[in-house]
Amino acid sequence: MRRLLVLVAGSLAAGMSLSLAAASAPAPGTSPATAGARPGVPLSSTAERVFEMAKPRILQIRTLLQAAGRQTTLGSGFVVSSDGYALTNYHVVSRFALDPKTYRLEYLAPDGAKGPLSLLAIDVAHDLAVVKVDHASLPYFEIDPRALAGYLPKGERMYAMGNPLDLGFTIVEGTNNGLVDKSYDERIHFSGAINPGMSGGPVTGADGRIVGINVAKRVDGEQVGFLVPAKFAAELLARARKGPPLAVDKAREEVGRQLDAWQASFYDALRREGFREASFGPYRGLESAAPWMTCWAATNADQVPRPRAAINSTSCSSATSLFVSDRILTGRVDLSYSYYKSIDLNAFQFAHELSRRSTAGFGNQARRLTEQECRDDFVAMPGSHRPPLRATWCMRAYREFEGLYNVTVLALTQDRDREALLARLTMLGVSYANAVDTGRRFLEAIRWAR
Amino acid sequence: MGAVMWIEVLSRHGEVAARERIEGPEARVGRAFDNDVVVDDPHVAPHHLRIFRAEDGELVAEDLGTLNGLYPEHGAHRVQRLPLAKEPGIRIGRTTLRVHDAAHAVAAERLLTPPRAHAAWAAALGGALLAALLALQWLNLTAEPSANLILLPLLGFTTVVVLWSGLWALLSRVFFGQARFALQLRIALTACIVLVAWEQAAGALSFGLAWRGLDEYEALGAWGLLAATCYAHLQAIGPRHMRIALGVIAALIVAGATMQYAGKSEESRFLGQEATLGELRPPGFRLRALSSDDDFLKRTETVKREVDQSRLREPPSGALFSGLDSD
Repeated sequence: MRRLLVLVAGSLAAGMSLSLAAASAPAPGTSPATAGARPGVPLSSTAERVFEMAKPRILQIRTLLQAAGRQTTLGSGFVVSSDGYALTNYHVVSRFALDPKTYRLEYLAPDGAKGPLSLLAIDVAHDLAVVKVDHASLPYFEIDPRALAGYLPKGERMYAMGNPLDLGFTIVEGTNNGLVDKSYDERIHFSGAINPGMSGGPVTGADGRIVGINVAKRVDGEQVGFLVPAKFAAELLARARKGPPLAVDKAREEVGRQLDAWQASFYDALRREGFREASFGPYRGLESAAPWMTCWAATNADQVPRPRAAINSTSCSSATSLFVSDRILTGRVDLSYSYYKSIDLNAFQFAHELSRRSTAGFGNQARRLTEQECRDDFVAMPGSHRPPLRATWCMRAYREFEGLYNVTVLALTQDRDREALLARLTMLGVSYANAVDTGRRFLEAIRWAR
Repeated sequence: MGAVMWIEVLSRHGEVAARERIEGPEARVGRAFDNDVVVDDPHVAPHHLRIFRAEDGELVAEDLGTLNGLYPEHGAHRVQRLPLAKEPGIRIGRTTLRVHDAAHAVAAERLLTPPRAHAAWAAALGGALLAALLALQWLNLTAEPSANLILLPLLGFTTVVVLWSGLWALLSRVFFGQARFALQLRIALTACIVLVAWEQAAGALSFGLAWRGLDEYEALGAWGLLAATCYAHLQAIGPRHMRIALGVIAALIVAGATMQYAGKSEESRFLGQEATLGELRPPGFRLRALSSDDDFLKRTETVKREVDQSRLREPPSGALFSGLDSD
């Protein structure tokens, strides 16, 4: 659980930067064909050729503070059509998208060319954005058809480009390790060094065609990077070409719509995957059957000094995380059960111990959310095989996005005074209907084991 | 006529400094030594005042034609003659006098508190309070039991109560001449016992009724109790200037309570809040009937309405980002 949170923080909270815009370059299609690695040629020469080809096509994307005219965040991007369409991450342009009065976008090409960028489309769920360079007949990247078909062999060499830490345009050689297991979002696991500033930069195969886009890395591992698969970029690009461009002042509403759509399909998937029973001491609870819900267990049995109440807990998390802005990470479900059994605490001490431990945090996003409101109750179904529960429902609304909430449901069994199951359900960025539906399943599932 | 009157000269602090018995129909007051009552006040005339009985027998004070004149004790308007039946107080210069008839009614005899009675009460209350606090400490002890953990807070608590009572005793000594520490301690200990009982009752009710809002009333109750305690301490010191003192205390307490609430809501706004089950008690403390899942989830609609309303009340500001942090 903790490890997954680190992933979220490390990968997405770090604002990334850069890529280069091309001013002139070889015609697409010709150089990629000659760029394939040949036997007997050292690998570095492939990287050299790929970078040579990519150089006029990559961009650094800078978010400038309107008033000061200076950069506040940096990311990368790359040109994908001759009329100047370029791709990057949503999180690279999020400040501008949500607050166009304060910020503006600018690109910087490896040859030093600079210019304004307009924002055409965003995809918050996949962390992608389409921007446009005001230029005609630019060299551009092609998307690898193998990436669109989803066939990329593990172990294949890949080349990630961008401008890490504003140190200059860089190419990083790494290995494709396929889609990440147990992940709700499709992400390519790239074993190579991706660093802040490279977000939104292109990742190509040896032939220089796009297979993915740099997006994140794990800070608790070495060279564990993640890419957005190229097919989502292709979809967004098609949408940007067809639809009207994103109205600058309507971007916030668009983000809200996308978050709502994301949570709708996420909770549909959660229901579709189904739930199963799990036992915790003499109680039972709910466990998602979805492969992307990862669970961790913990115990305090080996604690020193000897614990006065034994705690065995299981926490499951969807480990999903949507970057909305620097202050908002949302789109996650956590479900945890802790079975408490008193060793030498009396009933009062046991109750006190439970009150100390019955917290479930939302993280520190206080200003983006309304104040929390909670409702307590004692809940039970008469005549059922269920223990009575002390239940709490706590809720906060997103100030920026109507109809989205952070909801925590807590339930504590009340049938014994020195033994209890404490169950917690936390849903970030959920609609009220989905929260009630999931909350109901959660409460109903707390039963006595037979 | 054998009627007797008493004239009291009061000190600047309001105590009786001298009391003269006057036999005869008339008394004269002034700085000169041929008066019945001699007042050493440079703002008083040598022959300032004459006090005599009117035809109906009522005592009346009369100005003998002075520079600074004659005032009722609490009045601001100079008078030539002042009937004394209702208000026996007179102000001349900077001196206050009171004139009483021999028939003046005095308060009934007050029962004497036996010596050490307050001390005995304080000891009993203190013992009971310490026992209650020890028991509560024990019931809330979830860490490894240790004497330090239990006794240190009690020591701190005892020190605070003794200092608090000592402060009141000091005030009492300065303004009233008597410290009466045992009485002040008794008041403080009574207040502590009421506070502990109130907190426990509010905690148990808040759990038993599943009514978290009670926590807020709990703090209000504690502030109210503090006000009542200060009132009792003041009453024990003496009733003079009671209104002013009470006003000051009320203002301080209202300010304290307001600041506490403001601080709390600021804190929750900026530091965020965690979802908790609140302060729990053993399951036997439940006072409320069990609800069904449906009832419980139905009630969450009001929670939704509340957060929706607070969302509308405070719309997001234009700027989503407060800092210029560069990554």
